[in-house]
Parts: sequence; structure tokens; C-alpha cells
Amino acid sequence: MAIMEVFNLTKRFGGLAAVNNVSFEVREGEILSVIGPNGAGKSTLFKLISSFLPATSGKIVFQGENITSQKPHTVARKGVIRTFQETTIFRDMTVLDNVVVAHHLHSRASLAGFFFGTRIAREDEAAFRRSAEEIIDFLGIGPMKRELAKNLPHGYLRALGIAMGMAADPKILLLDEPFAGMNAEETDTALGMVRGIRGRGITVLLVEHDMPAVMKISDRIVVLNFGEKIAEGKPAEIQENEAVIEAYLGREDEELGI
Amino acid sequence: MTFMSGHGGSMFARRFHAEGENYICFHVLISRKQFFFGGREKIGMGQVLINGMYSGVQYSLIALGLTLIFSLMNVMNFAHGQLYVLGGFVTYYVYGVLGLPFPAALLGAAATLAVVGVLFDVLLFRRVLARSARDESTMLLACGSALLLDSLFIIFFGEKQRGVPPVVGGVLRIGEGIFLPYGRVLIVVLSVVLIVAFILFMAHTRWGRGLRAMAQDRDAARLMGVNVARYSMLGWMIASVLAGLAGAMLVSVSGVNSGIGTWISIKAFIMVMIGGAGAIPGAIIGGLVLGMLESLGAQYMSGSQYLAIFVALIVFLAIRPRGLLGRQ
Amino acid sequence: MTRNRKMMIAVAAVLFYVVGVPWLCAGRNYYLGVVTTASVLAVICAGVWLIFYIGRINIGQGAFALAGGYAAAIAVSKWGLSFWIAMPFAGLASMAIGILIGLPLLRLKGVYFSMITLSLTETARLAAQSLKSITNGPNGILNIPLPRDLSIFGITVIPDFATVDKHLALFYLGAVLLVVTYAALYRIVNSRLGWLFRSLQQNEDLASSFGVNVPMLRVIAFAICTFLAGVGGAFFVAMQQSIYPATFAVQDSTYFMLYCFIGGLSFVFGPLIGTFILYMGFEVLQGFKEYQPLLYALLMIGVMLWLPNGLLSLRPPKFLSAKMPSRPASGGDV
Repeated sequence: MAIMEVFNLTKRFGGLAAVNNVSFEVREGEILSVIGPNGAGKSTLFKLISSFLPATSGKIVFQGENITSQKPHTVARKGVIRTFQETTIFRDMTVLDNVVVAHHLHSRASLAGFFFGTRIAREDEAAFRRSAEEIIDFLGIGPMKRELAKNLPHGYLRALGIAMGMAADPKILLLDEPFAGMNAEETDTALGMVRGIRGRGITVLLVEHDMPAVMKISDRIVVLNFGEKIAEGKPAEIQENEAVIEAYLGREDEELGI
Repeated sequence: MTFMSGHGGSMFARRFHAEGENYICFHVLISRKQFFFGGREKIGMGQVLINGMYSGVQYSLIALGLTLIFSLMNVMNFAHGQLYVLGGFVTYYVYGVLGLPFPAALLGAAATLAVVGVLFDVLLFRRVLARSARDESTMLLACGSALLLDSLFIIFFGEKQRGVPPVVGGVLRIGEGIFLPYGRVLIVVLSVVLIVAFILFMAHTRWGRGLRAMAQDRDAARLMGVNVARYSMLGWMIASVLAGLAGAMLVSVSGVNSGIGTWISIKAFIMVMIGGAGAIPGAIIGGLVLGMLESLGAQYMSGSQYLAIFVALIVFLAIRPRGLLGRQ
Repeated sequence: MTRNRKMMIAVAAVLFYVVGVPWLCAGRNYYLGVVTTASVLAVICAGVWLIFYIGRINIGQGAFALAGGYAAAIAVSKWGLSFWIAMPFAGLASMAIGILIGLPLLRLKGVYFSMITLSLTETARLAAQSLKSITNGPNGILNIPLPRDLSIFGITVIPDFATVDKHLALFYLGAVLLVVTYAALYRIVNSRLGWLFRSLQQNEDLASSFGVNVPMLRVIAFAICTFLAGVGGAFFVAMQQSIYPATFAVQDSTYFMLYCFIGGLSFVFGPLIGTFILYMGFEVLQGFKEYQPLLYALLMIGVMLWLPNGLLSLRPPKFLSAKMPSRPASGGDV
């Protein structure tokens, strides 16, 4: 069953279409990857789906509801959560505290409630803390939870980004190049992490460059080239696809990895 | 501080308070005095539009410099109006007190402001920009510079309104009830020449192209071999000279006093917000629009025209956040 | 530092302030007035600081203080309302203007917001000058009566200021405003609201990715900021018993920023300390009064060049630090 459907999505910058008439669906509980050579429009598509960019035309439907052109915080509220590659919100705070803050959507108490420190607010804070600990352990960065975010090594920072996404209780988690710049070992750890997330019933859509990783982890793959969708299917099908091979071979500077 | 416990207002309060009256009518009314024979209500629509054009052209000159610095360095120079005032004072001394010819005063103002512009860059903004990319550091630095110049003006030039004798006398009369004093015409012509020269400079010279490249993308410009440090200095120089020349010319029409710098800056901000920050045609259009609005406002809602302009600006920005031609 | 130590220091500071200062200034009303003025400037300044805290710059706090001042003056002298109603009314009036302006403009790039707020100060002055039927124009509103007594159910809670030592009464009013404002500010910064405000300063995109309504929070912060300005403006009306279009000018708006900066932008008590040091410092150095703007300007530029994090950053005493505690303000910590 489709959790999210994208219809004829288009984004133009000036006269140039960065994303042109792209349609696909994301099925509940799957890991779907969007790939494509440099400049294919992957990251624009990512921003469109997470509402960080308004679409020029087309429609995004999430769980039967049209969410096109809504504000980022509104779609986040509905369960569409994106991550950032390497961002923390409080560099001078611990890993744990960053994840606690990201629990914003779970607040039952109002902001005034937090100001006056009502019982509900105190319970909320305690619950966020427990939940944050759990997520951090789940992603395997438990040992780092007392570290200041700014001291985290590269790979852990990525995991922190994902942890903050998880804290918002996503129905669908949009991952922005989760394996970029990782070595083989780190990638394997990250692959396990993404599988684990799906194991918790969260649908995962990721935009990625790293072909071998994508082939290993994806249930299905959507391929973009010059802003248009040129193929869609299971990893094995994509590997055989003439148009995909063409697109990647056409650009000598791309690592093939197929 | 303008307030104290039970001791009455402080020095500052009194100064600004007394100044308030001539302050509000700075451009439109004072300039009008010269060609205005009879009740205010008698000014015809033609004269109102001409007055708007006058101010508009000169405002454009002021806004150009502000928008140039913004597009080059992403700095909103809150001290821009003070540069204008400095140009006015240089002219007052060279032309009004020493009695040298007006062109000498303009040259003197341009030279002084070029130096000040370079000093702004080298001593202040370059250092802070190098260390911090946040808007707030440069904004506060600019506010501090504005305050510094303001207080230096008070110390060195006093608080009096200064004027100079008209550069050329006589009034040109067109049709029924439209008067063009020659002094004013001269300034408008000079301003237009300067604006056109600036546009041609930006479009057709090597330096102009370098500046435009830098405004587009600083890093890319650096990679293309543009000496970013030197061009920043050039940008500051041009912007300051434009503001200073505007002040130098206008002193012959509306005079100058130490307190008007901030008010000029604010007008320049309004123009830039109307036209769109960072866009050169935007600065020109913004200047013309503000000039017109002021002139119309003085005619039809004398006294509260700035309140009306400000409210209109807020509404306008709510609809068009980046102004008419602002960069996206 | 434990919660108890913090509490003790806070109580000691407040005690010194409400008992020690009047005792030291006994018979010297001028100095008491200086402290009172500084207290209320610090209240207005707290709003400016909060806007810095969400990553924006408000150079128009003077306009909101002026609006609040006029609102209070009109309410008291034209409508005959009690000052105790006029003061909150002034805060709300100023806040309403703040929200009207903030809703469209806080969404824009920061520099637009700053330009608008600066323009606002001058516009407010011109408006006060030209709207003669409401504000009495350049002559200002004079002879505004002192706050009268406040009675609840027949019990006099606050005496009529005209019947007691006016200077002392005003001092205590200022002291109450100061303590309440900074206690509330401290609470805001250390509650979840403060975390969210800070998240705006750090990374608005990331904040909205986990569901924070960023535009709304900015407006909330600005509403608090302008409310404080309005209340502060009303207080000045009570103190001076008059208000003019130039009571708060552009320069004051700029000074507020300087006070915040001197105190340090990441410390809740930064604006308080900045205001007291600078304002009282200059009152003591009477001879330099003439050069105050010049010295302030040099100070401002110097701070930007050499001390971008403010005076307290030299060695921030822990109890003054508004930094997020490593254990957040949850449950038992507050």
C-alpha cells in the first residue's frame, strides 16, 4: 500500500526544470532510494518532498492527504520527517540533549506549561529523556551520549542527525545521502542502522550517491536524470536497465559502482 | 539617554526636540520655499511631480551606494547617511566658508569620502567580516560607526543648520505655476550624469565587471582571479563617494546639520526595501518612488506622510518581501 | 552549581537591591533616580536581548517604548484611568504593534527586519509629532499625575505615590519590574521555550524539520520583547510625568543594543549588567556626559573588533550563565 504518492512533480528555477514531471509512489514499510548522476535533481526532489522548497506544479499525497506546498513544520507534524547530512542544533550541548530537544512534537504541555513547569511539562521532559536514551542506544551511539555534539566524529554526527529525525516519531523518514563520505566499514554500520529503522515500521526514503550501498539496502529504486525519472524498479532490474547504464556511462566522471 | 529622574530631559533630548520641527520637512518643504510664492495649497500637480522627481533623482544616488555595498559584502551600512552628511559639511567649508568654486567643493567631498570609504573597509568591516559571517556583527559595527560619525559631527561642526549660497541663481518658469530654480536643475542634471556614469562604469569597465562578478558570487569571483580585497575597497570607495556627492550637492539646496545622518540612512533603507536590496535598478526605482511619495504626501497629508509611507511599506513588504526587483 | 546555591545568590542580590540600595542612597534622591532609571532601561533592554537570542536584531526598541509611553500617558491623563491599568495596557498596545509588524516582517531575511525596526523609531517620533490630536504634537503630554493608590477589595495594596516618598516609591516599582522581568526571562531561557528560541538562532531549517513552528515562535519572542518595551515606556511616563516625541530616539534604540552586547548575548543577565555598568557609569562620570555618544560609539566598535562576545565572556561566572545546563531544566532542576 502506498504511504506517499508523488504526481507530476515539477520544480523550475528560472527557465530551468530541476525536477520535471516526476511521479512515483512510496509503499508502506519499504526502503526506497532515489539515485541519479550529479545534477540529476535528487536534492531538489528531496527538498520538495520535505516541503523545504515549494513545487512549481504537481502534487504530493501523504496517507491520502494532499500535502503539497505546506510548511515544513506542518508536514513534520503529519509524520514526514527529513534529516540533514551533518547538522546539530546545539553544538555546545550533549548528544542526548540534542535528541531531547528534537522531541518537540510530542509535547502535551503548552509552551506556557513549560514556562510555569506544570506537572504535565515535567512528565513530558522526563519522557523525552527516556525516549532519547532509547533512540540513541538503538542507533548505537549510546556511548557518545554525554559528548558535546561539536566533538563528535563524522560518522556519529550523521547518526545524531538520524536520531533527531527519529525523535520526531516519523511515519516516513527522508534521509539525505546517509552514506556520503563513509568508508566501507562505516557504511556497513549505517546500513544496519537504516534496516533497523525500517524494522521499527518506519518507511524510509533516501537520496543517495553511493551505488553499492543503495543496491544492498533498497527494496526499490527510482532513477533520475536531468530532472526526469528514467527508471523505477527493484535493484536487480535497475542494474539491467539500459537507460540507467546509459545515463551513468554518459558521464565519465561518475563512479559506476554497478 | 534622553530621560532622567525628575531632572528634566537631558541635553540630547532637548537638542533633538528643538530640531524636530525643521527635521520633518527637511527635503520637501525647505526646497519648496525657494519657488513657492503664496499658500502651500496653491502648488499645482505639475509642481508636485517635479518636486518628486528632484528628490527622487538625488535619493537614487544615495540608495545606489547602499545597495552596492549590500550586494558586494552583504553588509547593510547603517552609517550611509552619515557619509552623506560628511559630504555636505565638506562642501559647506570649501564652498561656503573658504569661498572656493563649487566644483572644487565637489572634488573635495569626493576625495574625503573616498578616503573615509577605504578606512571603513580596512579598519573596520574587513576585520569583522573576516572573523564572523553573521549579519549581526557587521550590523552592530555599522550602527557603532554611525553613532561615532554623528558624535564627531556634533563635536566638530556643532548643531547648527548649515547652508551655502546658491550655486546659480534664477528660476526657470514652465507654463502655469511650475517653477524650476536653476540651482536645483543643475543638481538634478549632475545627479543624472553621476547615475549614468555609475551604470556605464559597472557595465563596461573591467573594474565594473569585477565588482559585478563579486556581487554575484564572491567565491566564484575569487576563483576567477578577482582580487576580492581590492575590489571590496573599491566598492566602499564608490559607495561612500556617491553618498558624499549627494550630500555635497544637496547642501546648496537644503543645507545640512549634524543630526540628519540617521534620517538619510532610514530614507535610503526605505528606497532599498522598495526597490529590492542588492539590485541597482531597484535602488534607482526605489529612490524615484520615495521622492514621489514624499512630494505627494507633503501635498495631501502634510505632517503624517512618513507614517503613511511607513505603513504602506510594511504592507508592500508583506506582499513583495524582496521589493520590486530584489534578488531571489 | 546547585540549585540552592543559585537560589541563595539570587535572593542575596535581590535583598541588597531592595534594601541596600535605598539605604545607601538615603537622602540622595538623584542617585536613587539613576538606579531606578537603570532598572527600567534594563527591563526594556531584556526585550532586545531576547530578539538577539532568536538570532534577529531589533534596532527599534525605542519606538515600542515610545508607543507604550504614549499609550500610558493618554490612558492616564486623557481617559483618567489608573496607572495600574494603564501600565499593562501600554505593554499590550506596544505588543499589538509589534505583532502587526512582526507577522509579515519576521519571515524576511534578518537585515530587512533590522532596517524596518530602525526606521520605525524615527517613524514613531514623526508620528508622535504630527498626530497632534492624539499626542499633543511636539509639545508632548505634560503634568501626567503620579500613580494613585491601588486597592483590592478595599485593602490598599499600593499607596498613592503623591502621599509617600515619590523617589522611593518609583524605585520600588522599578525594582519589582526588574526582578519580575529577569526572573521570567531566566525561566523562559531555561525552559523548553528557551531551547526552542535558541534552536531558531542556531538552525531554523533543522528546527522546522522536527516540527517547530518557526515563524510563530519568532512572533512570540517579538511579542514578549515589545511588551517589555511598552511597560518600560509606561514606567518612564510615571517617572517623568511627561512624554515627548523625542523621549526615546534612534540613539536610545542603538544604546539598547550596546547594553546587550556589553553584557553578552548568551547570558540572561547580560543586558541587566550591561545597562547598569554603562548607564550608571556615565552618571557617575558626569564630566564626560557631553562625550557620552562618542564614548559609546568607540566602545561599540571596540567591542565588535576585540570582544565580540561581550564583557561577561571574559570570565563568565557560572551563576550568570544562561547556557543550557548539561542537565536540562526538567523536573527537579527547576
